[in-house]
Amino acid sequence: MSIWPEERLRALADDGFETVDMTINVGPQHPATHGVFRMVLTVDGEKVVDCEPYIGYLHRGLEKLTENHDYRQAMGWWDRTDYLAGMACEMAYCMAVEKLGNIAVPRRAEYIRVMMVELSRILSHFMFLGAFGADVGSFGTSFIYAWRERERIYDFFEEVAGDRMFPTYFRPGGVQMDLPDNYQDRVRWLLGSIRQGLEDFDGLLVGNEIFVERCRGLSPVTPEQAIAWGLTGPCLRATGYKFDLRKDEPYSVYPELKFDIPTGTTGDVFDRFMVRMAEVWQSTLIVEQCLDALSQMEGELVLNPDLPKTLRIDSGECYVRTEGTKGEYGVYALARGGNKPYRMKLRSPSFCNLSALREMVIGTYVADAIIILGSLDIVLGEVDK
Amino acid sequence: MSKPLAPKPIDQVVKLLEQRFGKLPVTISQTATDANIDVPPEHFRAVVEELKNHRDLAFDFLRNIVGIDMLEEGLACKYQFFSYKNRQSVQVTVLTPPGNPHIPSITDLYPAANWHEREAAEMVGLVFDGHPNLKNLLLDEDVRIHPLLKAHPLQKAEILQGIEDTTPGFPF
Repeated sequence: MSIWPEERLRALADDGFETVDMTINVGPQHPATHGVFRMVLTVDGEKVVDCEPYIGYLHRGLEKLTENHDYRQAMGWWDRTDYLAGMACEMAYCMAVEKLGNIAVPRRAEYIRVMMVELSRILSHFMFLGAFGADVGSFGTSFIYAWRERERIYDFFEEVAGDRMFPTYFRPGGVQMDLPDNYQDRVRWLLGSIRQGLEDFDGLLVGNEIFVERCRGLSPVTPEQAIAWGLTGPCLRATGYKFDLRKDEPYSVYPELKFDIPTGTTGDVFDRFMVRMAEVWQSTLIVEQCLDALSQMEGELVLNPDLPKTLRIDSGECYVRTEGTKGEYGVYALARGGNKPYRMKLRSPSFCNLSALREMVIGTYVADAIIILGSLDIVLGEVDK
Repeated sequence: MSKPLAPKPIDQVVKLLEQRFGKLPVTISQTATDANIDVPPEHFRAVVEELKNHRDLAFDFLRNIVGIDMLEEGLACKYQFFSYKNRQSVQVTVLTPPGNPHIPSITDLYPAANWHEREAAEMVGLVFDGHPNLKNLLLDEDVRIHPLLKAHPLQKAEILQGIEDTTPGFPF
């Protein structure tokens, strides 16, 4: 008998031996699924031949709840969608309400919003860097490195809004209150700490040959595939397609800020990782510019003072899209009178990115399927609404 | 990489759509953010194929699908498309008559539509003809309720699902 496995298998097959595909259930409770997500993998030996994702374990009926609450009350539900970056969700929701009701936002509030959103982006990306390191196999070390920076940003959020993960700080027409007195020093110190954290990650993961070898060349995606599957955000930019809603369909004060859009080349897992690393750096630059701008307008209004106690919107329809932390975070809103929206729909980037998972994992190894899932950077609160 | 194209103003897109679709029984208007085409369900496929394949339109990206219960007018379905090539966006609205919530599926043209259509189907009870796998996505697989219909109360003991079972689509 031959020593080569393929020849042995062929010899066995000639004798009437058959291999059978096996089904593996991953999740809902599984550390690699980043929440309650389940996928059923069909494997032939070590290769994945089919994958069926099951979602909805965290479905809370966000859209139904929003339809049944006052415009301001419903805010609290929305930062529970992408709970790693609550402020980015609040921004999209507030922009939708402002678009429907033609509500103006003071400039100082716009700068505060952009600063908080970019800090949220850093929070979310650090969560990805840490969790992804754990997926690939560095276990807890990268996680704790990420947590150090996250805790410091959360402490600042707590001081600003009174809550860490679900701040409910934005309001239609501005933000709830002004920043604390010492925010300039606090945030500048934070930025130094974040840049140090990035450098640490660079040494810990990108400098690690095992990590790089596992990620490079895994599940490459072309721009055409990404667009057809509905991938947005870092997953699209990793393919080399330069598209960022902050630049290409600018909103808020982003046109006045200078920053680059990092892109990858091949769209593989390693590029998705590196694009997010580079985005954290760009976000620190944006925050710095916001701080400079804010120091020029101390004491100005942060909330539109002309708003009524209850917002009532007669009619209107809009689809507002923002560059969320995971991709295009869109809010469709329809008003038909009264103090509640008639319909609000969330276009969540994690949901759309996850729907491409099946195409991406077929043909890879089981261990790589976990890494590909991690590289999409899903957050289940946003997938399940 | 070339310089990023500026997004086109809405009225330019509206003009372009009027040139292309003036002969069909469609209504072209604008919302607060996008151009909007109202299409009857029987012409929907033709319009979407044109939107995707025509050189001047080239809407290659499906952003979002929204199912809406418009009460006595029937169920509405809104599609948001975007063209990476021309940097323009459009919304397509299909209003299905009451009692007949059928819309042709576009999963063969836009693979991204797969989950969006499943979500719209379970949430308001639209039926997408030709969808490969139209089972529940966010809700439990054997539940036949459509929570985003206005008739569905906010609070209800969903655990009594056996009593609530209806056929998919209509009547609720």
